[in-house]
Amino acid sequence: MNFKDLQKLLKANEGVTNISTLRENVIKFDLDKSISKEFFKKLKEEYYFEHCSLITAIDNQPDFELVYHLSCLSGELSVGNTKMAAMVEVHIHLTRDSPSIDSVSDLWFGANWHEREAFDLMGIYFIGHPDLRRVLLPEGFAGHPLRKDYVYEIHEEEW
Amino acid sequence: MSAKGIRGNPDLRRGLGSKTTDRDKIMEDGPAGDWLALRSDQLLKWIDDAVYNASEATGMREVVDRVTRPIFNFAQRFSPHPLHFGIMCCAIEMGQASAPDHDIDRLGLVYRSSPRQCDVLIVNGPVCEKLRPKLKTLYEQMPEPKWVIAMGECAISGGPYWDSYSVVAGADTFMPVDVYIPGCPVRPEALMHGFLTLQKKIREKEPGMFLRR
Repeated sequence: MNFKDLQKLLKANEGVTNISTLRENVIKFDLDKSISKEFFKKLKEEYYFEHCSLITAIDNQPDFELVYHLSCLSGELSVGNTKMAAMVEVHIHLTRDSPSIDSVSDLWFGANWHEREAFDLMGIYFIGHPDLRRVLLPEGFAGHPLRKDYVYEIHEEEW
Repeated sequence: MSAKGIRGNPDLRRGLGSKTTDRDKIMEDGPAGDWLALRSDQLLKWIDDAVYNASEATGMREVVDRVTRPIFNFAQRFSPHPLHFGIMCCAIEMGQASAPDHDIDRLGLVYRSSPRQCDVLIVNGPVCEKLRPKLKTLYEQMPEPKWVIAMGECAISGGPYWDSYSVVAGADTFMPVDVYIPGCPVRPEALMHGFLTLQKKIREKEPGMFLRR
């Protein structure tokens, strides 16, 4: 059993499309939004992807795209009889009308601030997030500035 | 918002949960106005008035002024303690300026870590929207007299981030700035020149006991 088998194993799951290999031990695939939470739970508990390195959002007008980088650093990922280390890059497409998705911050605690950042700058709503506030911009800031259709207005304070 | 703004507006006062009483009325009409919450400059003005009137009446003003003004001026000119507050890369140059090569301590510049002990606020980097209220608080915590130095392009006008959504376009949009030092980043020699310019400004303004007359 080797890396190719892991790819086959992931491909067999429902909702996984466009699977490809980026480089050695790195797999990239698209995931359906509706089953994302169950699949992430499976990735963590069955395949030991215990580290969530990155959650980021991209504005491909008109749609949004979320990118998750999950890695199994400990080498506990068991495919058949062998154990290995691997990394997956999960892409999820969201429509502009409803930019919301289930939060994964209960699976990986490090995802908490990544999701807050994606909410702050891109306006993605993470359902079930314990504390969805702005993290980089001040409270009361209007709009989400990394969206392509964001219009900046200069505001000055009297002193 | 000043204390007068809150107290002068009955709607706001009601909103704060307190009823209008005779005591409030007395406070409003009192001779000192909003004496409960004096800002540092208001306190200084009040002391100035009291001392000035007393000394004017006794004829001591000329004498005291002539004696103390050069001493006060000298003391303020040669001990402008800056706040040890770094924002971005100009802070590295600020550190270099106090290192042995450009030993800036010989001008009397001793960095203090508390705004209560400082005279000069060096704004050495881009001020983002989230930092702005904190920086203004730091400025308001400093005792009078106080000066502000805008160090580097970012503090002067926003620099390369001038049209950013989160960076304020210059420190002088929200606080009074005395000396601007251009450069990106500012060299330690330029910072030293900025402090010498500030010394010249202090000397020309001739601060003393009756500075604000």
